[in-house]
Amino acid sequence: MKNKNWIIITSLSLGLLVGFNACKPKNAGNAVNSDAAAKTYVAPGKYDEFYNFVSGGFSGQMSVYGLPSGRLLRVIPVFSVDPEKGYGYSEETKPMLNTSHGFIPWDDLHHVQMSKTNGDYDGRWAFGNANNTPRVARIDLKTFRTAEIIELPNSAGNHSSPFITENTEYVVAGTRFSVPPDDAAGDVPINTYKKNFKGTLSFISVAKEEGKMDIAFQIQCPGFNFDLSRAGKGVSHGWFFFSCYNTEQANTLLEVNASQKDKDFIMAVNWKKAEEYLKAGKGRKQAVRYAHNTYSDKTHTAVSEIKTEVTVLDSKELKDICYFFPCPKSPHGCDVSPTGEYIVGSGKLAALIPVFSFDKLQKAIAAKDYIGEFEGIPILKYESVLYGEVQKPGLGPLHTEFDNKGNAYTSMFVSSEVVKWNIKDLKVLDRVPTYYSVGHLCVAGGDTKNPTGKYLVAYDKITKDRYLPTGPELAQSAQLYDISGDKMQLILDFPTIGEPHYAQIIAADLVRPNSIKFFKMEDNKNPYFSNGEGAAKVVREGNKVHVYMTAIRSHLTPDNIEGIRLGDEVYFHVTNLEQDWDVPHGFAIKGAGNAELLVMPGETQTLKWNPDKTGIFPMYCTDFCSALHQEMTGYIRVSPAGSNVPLLFSTGKNYPVSDTIKKTK
Amino acid sequence: MGIPNKNLQGWVRIILVLCAVGLLAVLFFPLWKIDLVAPQYPEGLVLLIYPNKLSGNVDIINGLNHYIGMKTLHTADFFEFAVLPWIIIGFSLLFFIVSFVGKRKWLYWLFFLFVVFGILAMYDFWQWEYNYGHNLNPDAAIIVPGMAYQPPLIGFKQLLNFGAYSIPDIGGWIFISVGVLLLLGLIVEWRLAIQIRKKNSHILIFILIITLNSCNYNPTPIQIGRDQCNSCKMTISDEKFGAAILTKKGKTYCFDDIQCMLVFKKNNYKDFENISDIYLTNYCKAHQFVKLSNAIILAGDQIRSPMNGNTIAFDNRDSAEKYQKLFQAKIINGHQLTGL
Repeated sequence: MKNKNWIIITSLSLGLLVGFNACKPKNAGNAVNSDAAAKTYVAPGKYDEFYNFVSGGFSGQMSVYGLPSGRLLRVIPVFSVDPEKGYGYSEETKPMLNTSHGFIPWDDLHHVQMSKTNGDYDGRWAFGNANNTPRVARIDLKTFRTAEIIELPNSAGNHSSPFITENTEYVVAGTRFSVPPDDAAGDVPINTYKKNFKGTLSFISVAKEEGKMDIAFQIQCPGFNFDLSRAGKGVSHGWFFFSCYNTEQANTLLEVNASQKDKDFIMAVNWKKAEEYLKAGKGRKQAVRYAHNTYSDKTHTAVSEIKTEVTVLDSKELKDICYFFPCPKSPHGCDVSPTGEYIVGSGKLAALIPVFSFDKLQKAIAAKDYIGEFEGIPILKYESVLYGEVQKPGLGPLHTEFDNKGNAYTSMFVSSEVVKWNIKDLKVLDRVPTYYSVGHLCVAGGDTKNPTGKYLVAYDKITKDRYLPTGPELAQSAQLYDISGDKMQLILDFPTIGEPHYAQIIAADLVRPNSIKFFKMEDNKNPYFSNGEGAAKVVREGNKVHVYMTAIRSHLTPDNIEGIRLGDEVYFHVTNLEQDWDVPHGFAIKGAGNAELLVMPGETQTLKWNPDKTGIFPMYCTDFCSALHQEMTGYIRVSPAGSNVPLLFSTGKNYPVSDTIKKTK
Repeated sequence: MGIPNKNLQGWVRIILVLCAVGLLAVLFFPLWKIDLVAPQYPEGLVLLIYPNKLSGNVDIINGLNHYIGMKTLHTADFFEFAVLPWIIIGFSLLFFIVSFVGKRKWLYWLFFLFVVFGILAMYDFWQWEYNYGHNLNPDAAIIVPGMAYQPPLIGFKQLLNFGAYSIPDIGGWIFISVGVLLLLGLIVEWRLAIQIRKKNSHILIFILIITLNSCNYNPTPIQIGRDQCNSCKMTISDEKFGAAILTKKGKTYCFDDIQCMLVFKKNNYKDFENISDIYLTNYCKAHQFVKLSNAIILAGDQIRSPMNGNTIAFDNRDSAEKYQKLFQAKIINGHQLTGL
């Protein structure tokens, strides 16, 4: 009997243990439908349906992926040097990275915007912002190269940028860090923030045809942190919306001190009104210094110009430009619905998503429904502007994009998910986990007047166990979701470079037809262009030696050069004589404290070389161009300073040895 | 046999020695653990509470808690960690002494002290969980009105994006085992002392075990928008439809539609041998389950369920009949539904 007791007790005790473990929460797991592979499979040789232009974050570059395959197509160098492409190393591209602080080899590209016509993507340009040394870049989608970079005065940390109006009238840039204006004495105590620091919004006009950027005007605002922005569209065209945090105006320990207020602001900017003031001469001409760099596909050269004046409109004095409306808890995204009627605020610490109405905003402004003002800017009543609140959407809402069926998709950083909700009734419809902690998301055409829908990509801040481990440093992770049905469906997970912030998905058909295959020789206006091998030469100007070099399969002309002396500055101006698709030639020389050149057909690029010792230096083509690529080499002889070795250059022939010896003597 | 009236039986004294040794072992193992589960921590975070220290991912947890303004956890802040090892050693000594002395009355006192200590310890534990969860820095970055972050004393609780799961660890289990063994010895001795019938003690033990074990016998509730259907793999988003299978092992499989449950059952369970119970979502009282055997089920084409199973369940006939008219559906029972 006693034994039986023991058995019962022991087995029940074990049952108890198991019972507790049954209570343990189970991981949601990773549900991928069996048809995911078919949905993302793009057969070899077939093209993707979409281009995905993705910010490279702290890599400073912009990457281009194909969707739905998630294949990396190109990394476009924008704000950081790229030795692989010679960007920032060749003499022609160095001026692209010039600023009022001089040459800067790195930046942090956060957001990507495609140019728009009538509120839809037109496939002409992509814009990117530099978050560290404030700049905006324009990328030409004919060449997938950076065509222009403009620096922003009175700014520090260009974050709410490069958002665009519906006809690309303006690209905006709002300063993330408020600072004293450039023409004021900046040498002030940091704790005089409230008195001396100002926030500046820049409106950069974009020329209709060629895309040339110019700072049309700036608006000086209170010293807040301007986080993100969106242009109005449709009914709200003519307005711009900026989310502001740190309305506490803290200058230290912002994670606490800038999170105190229950509500910060979204600032509505009537830029049409600002234009009127500008035309009426209400702007103040301010002396500043900023760089404007442009790259020409004709001269294949960048020119950097330092500009010295900007027109500033003061939000305190000029009424009817700026209005604040409250938005809960340090808003991040402020995204405008396809019709332009709804503005979705995302308080990154809030537990709901407020949706504001443009119509109500206009009525509240007309009725002067103010609850106060901040530095002369009226603050509208929250309830008067509010359309409604999405209740219990998740934790940490950041960004919202839209589909073609009246739905919105919001990324939730803290609860690591994407939440789909209906714009009209504000009901949550679906939610899917992201892996892990999504920052930005983008829907195909998700910020246009006519979204494509179909796909959504989540760009995550944490990768952890998604891919094979690669030590402490991991690739970033992105997830592709099929959003064509009622339920969002995870169909692909792919790694990205840098840290992706915002990205855009554009139909390939809008971009692909314009992509050029090579540069035409007859259009080459580079001053060091060699029009054919016959034009190749070596010219000495004092201690500068210019090598006019040509490259064609499979030799360099000239490929034997003598008469270079220690102390010379040698410039290799390499022209690629090919006129066919995908035949770039590379150029590198031993010991160059520089990078390679990667020269496209019909293009001229220059590598500067300071030989550091005497002897023979080989040079070669770095891009495997043909069966005889390995033969595409040459030598340079470097003699001591003051040597009388004559300047000789040749390809395919040797000077008589005796001759050379005689001349060497 | 001639058992002396006031003395302990030999085997009870041996158990007391085992318990004493077990208590000494407790000093080297964590008593309690709090598992934290969040989407961005797939590897999980754990806080281990030893008799003399805090261990596990303390620094990471402190780092996270500063967002909500929770005080950081430090072993030095708890006087308990200085006292607890000595109390445990003291109890171990007491167990030895009671075993050595071998008097029944001493056993009663030992049990009393042990239970009092257990209750006090759990109260103390609850109190510092309460303090940490409620005394939040008003300047914290994230303040959710009305939200406190007190972890559960035992079991599961969702705290913002973290699921907190609090259970005894090895040391705690030894402690509980010691308590159970002590109780067992006590019951046997007590029964011998006052000659109570055997049956009753069985019942007592059964009640004890079953009470502790009860959470094995309910299915985990469906978390709308979070759980995925185990059959069609879609996120469960409609609280009116759904079903769950609770296996005999205590695992819950949840479904967004009764149809999905049937498909899953057909593919995975030939009969009811390994199934503890099947539950259907109550159409009227969302989030609540009704057992298949108690359910009134409606089937009809006008019922639009997520996966076109077009069946819904109710816990009472009145509601079912109300909806029967609305949907022009027919009432079926569990056997008709499962075809068994």
